[in-house]
Amino acid sequence: MRLISVLLLAATASFAQDADPDNAGGATVSERYIGNAEAVSAGQEQYELVCSSCHGVTGEGGRGPSLQTGLNARASGDELFHTIKNGIPGSGMPPSPLEEETVWQITAFVWSLSAPAIRQNVDGNVEAGEALFYGSGGCTDCHMIRGNGGYIGPDLSNLGVTRSVAQIRVSLLDPNERFTEGFDPVILTLKDGTAIRGVAKNHSNYAIQVLGRDGRLYLLNRADVTLEFRESSWMPANYSERLSEAEIQNLLAFLSRQSVRPVETAEGGNLQ
Amino acid sequence: MNRMAVVWIAAALIALPIGAQVRYEDILEAPNENWLTFMGDYSANRHSPLKQINVSNADNLVPKWVYHVPEAASLSTYPIVYDGIMYITNSNEVHALDAVTGRTIWVYSRPDVELRRKNRGAAILGNRVYFVTADCHLVAVHRLTGAAIFDEPYADTKDGYFCTMAPVAIKDRLIVGVSGGDSGIRGFLAALSAETGEQLWKLWTIPGNDDFGADTWGPKTLPWGGAATWMPGSYDPELDWLFWPTGNPWPGFYGGDRPGDNLYSDSLIAVDLATGEMQWYFQFTPHDVWDWDAQEPPLLLDLEIDGQMRNVVVQANRNGFYYVLDRETGKFLRGNAFVDKLTWASGLDENGRPVLIEGMVPSPDGRVVCPTVWGAANWMADSYSPDTGFHYVMTMEACDLFTSSAREPEPKIGFAGTGAERQPRLDGQFIIRAIDPATGRRAWEYPLTGPTASWAGTLSTAGGVLFSGDDDKHLIALDARTGKYLWHFNVGQTIDASPITWARNGKQYVTIVARADVFTFGLFEPL
Repeated sequence: MRLISVLLLAATASFAQDADPDNAGGATVSERYIGNAEAVSAGQEQYELVCSSCHGVTGEGGRGPSLQTGLNARASGDELFHTIKNGIPGSGMPPSPLEEETVWQITAFVWSLSAPAIRQNVDGNVEAGEALFYGSGGCTDCHMIRGNGGYIGPDLSNLGVTRSVAQIRVSLLDPNERFTEGFDPVILTLKDGTAIRGVAKNHSNYAIQVLGRDGRLYLLNRADVTLEFRESSWMPANYSERLSEAEIQNLLAFLSRQSVRPVETAEGGNLQ
Repeated sequence: MNRMAVVWIAAALIALPIGAQVRYEDILEAPNENWLTFMGDYSANRHSPLKQINVSNADNLVPKWVYHVPEAASLSTYPIVYDGIMYITNSNEVHALDAVTGRTIWVYSRPDVELRRKNRGAAILGNRVYFVTADCHLVAVHRLTGAAIFDEPYADTKDGYFCTMAPVAIKDRLIVGVSGGDSGIRGFLAALSAETGEQLWKLWTIPGNDDFGADTWGPKTLPWGGAATWMPGSYDPELDWLFWPTGNPWPGFYGGDRPGDNLYSDSLIAVDLATGEMQWYFQFTPHDVWDWDAQEPPLLLDLEIDGQMRNVVVQANRNGFYYVLDRETGKFLRGNAFVDKLTWASGLDENGRPVLIEGMVPSPDGRVVCPTVWGAANWMADSYSPDTGFHYVMTMEACDLFTSSAREPEPKIGFAGTGAERQPRLDGQFIIRAIDPATGRRAWEYPLTGPTASWAGTLSTAGGVLFSGDDDKHLIALDARTGKYLWHFNVGQTIDASPITWARNGKQYVTIVARADVFTFGLFEPL
């Protein structure tokens, strides 16, 4: 399951910064830098000098891939360090001549670019974002938080601990960038001609499991249906036009705080 | 939650999925094509009315699919099946499968929960699936999508608790218990709101300092003497009472620091569902020093005993005795040994209290005692067929060398007071036995090969087939009336769960969970 792998990696990454209680005082090198505010700050300065020409000032990508959402966005601290230190042979990514400590500081900054949203400081008004989410934004037509809302889009109850702010922004403004596993938009036609619009939770050559927009779960033999996988999501792709930048930021602030479990936020508060 | 959110949520409710909802009344009628609780029903009978698979065709069973749970090595989940969807759990996760094809519909996982333990299964009510995490949160997710609804703690791991049980959904609430009884915890049973997860009541299984029963402990262990509630109990809808088993007193093998009977360890307690008040208790093993939790299933039966119909609760206890109790009063009606290897007591007195044999208390140099620390029975499922009148129990004939030491007990610290081990010369054996609960007579028995290292139990069906995992990596089918062999399939891995049966589109299936995979079987269908 790709989604599960992603979640697992996300969790591994997000909790790598918590020292192992059985090894107090013996933190790994990675644990000393990852999540350390001073290291992140020092790393950002070095990053802007050395890395930003290819990866962008905020890691948004350019000649090199995005560090917010790209392939490396869910690497562990050790994996990131190895890539920055040794480069990627055969690509435009060179090895780094910098001292090991400096490379670790850059690693800490790059890691922070894709940290779970709930651990990041996010500009915007959470309450205004909540009002938009449950109101004129129309988000609950398709998405749920804590059991309230629609179901045809992914559940957002744990979004803050499973996605970075940058990833949430991409999902909001460019829903066709990738589909979350289990949410491939599909139109299936039954033998009697009935068309069902929904999302494929799973499918093989023999069986298909589709959650319809009508709220029914269709568990069918593949041979009994004709399938049309859509290239565009059921989610509107025009939020960048419908919402102001302030509204988008408010929505991101609200979404990035979502976790059904109490989690310590970037501000040090304890949600719920 | 602020006021605005409430308004928004009210508006948003319109968009909830319209799939069928599981009502309390549906659970009362189960099992049928659905399997809606850990035990299949509230009475812990585990008898299915399905009979498409029967004594004459069980040898035509073939595998339909295998579902591998990534990273799984010790699955102990009893699946739930509703409306063609199967729900299975592993530590901190629940998987929803298309039950006919074994294909994934969704997975809800919390890999960030560091504590991992076995998990025994989910519950279903309304449009929600519930399960407990290893760190004792009750989690509710939407049954069609896996969308998270709440994740509420009900016990704190700092107090020595962890959680493995399948919660039991009844009416508007989930009944949950705790594990950790070998670590100096204070056991309890709780009812949590199905809507929000908030606690409705909590019943301690060890009395407080001023409560009845406090004088059955010494000061060193009160109230930290274990009595965990790590398995689901049963429920009588007419009395509206729960019947819940409790675990061993602590430290398990040294009793010097807990003089007395140690209430309510190793007991069955009757509890009012609405209020959480204890109605009666029956203690199977007073002052237990062999770790014989009473976590075996308590089956609710209506039996004719000595010419009179009685509402009873029966249990084949880990200590080797079979008990029949009056359901309304807890009064002991009858009992007898259900294994041959039983050396710690010569029998039960008229109140059901064991008559102890001298010299069977664990000591620093060790004492051989039968049954073993695993017991003559354990948490694996039993079943009862109203057609045959037999109670099917996975029994173990074996003994252990029990040792003890008088280390100072410290609450919340994992420590059992030493332990017990199987000696090579004390090899044991699992035997499936059909027991007549009214008399205690063994109607038939089916001895198993294997290393006595599984936790597989039985399932009874109206087709007259008794299904069970065995101790040697097989799912087996026996004639429930005679114990005659009908069919087996080698799943290639140890089985620590008990089979269930269900139906979809007019076809009956049997599912067994082994340590890493879920296997589903049905009758062979030629193309």
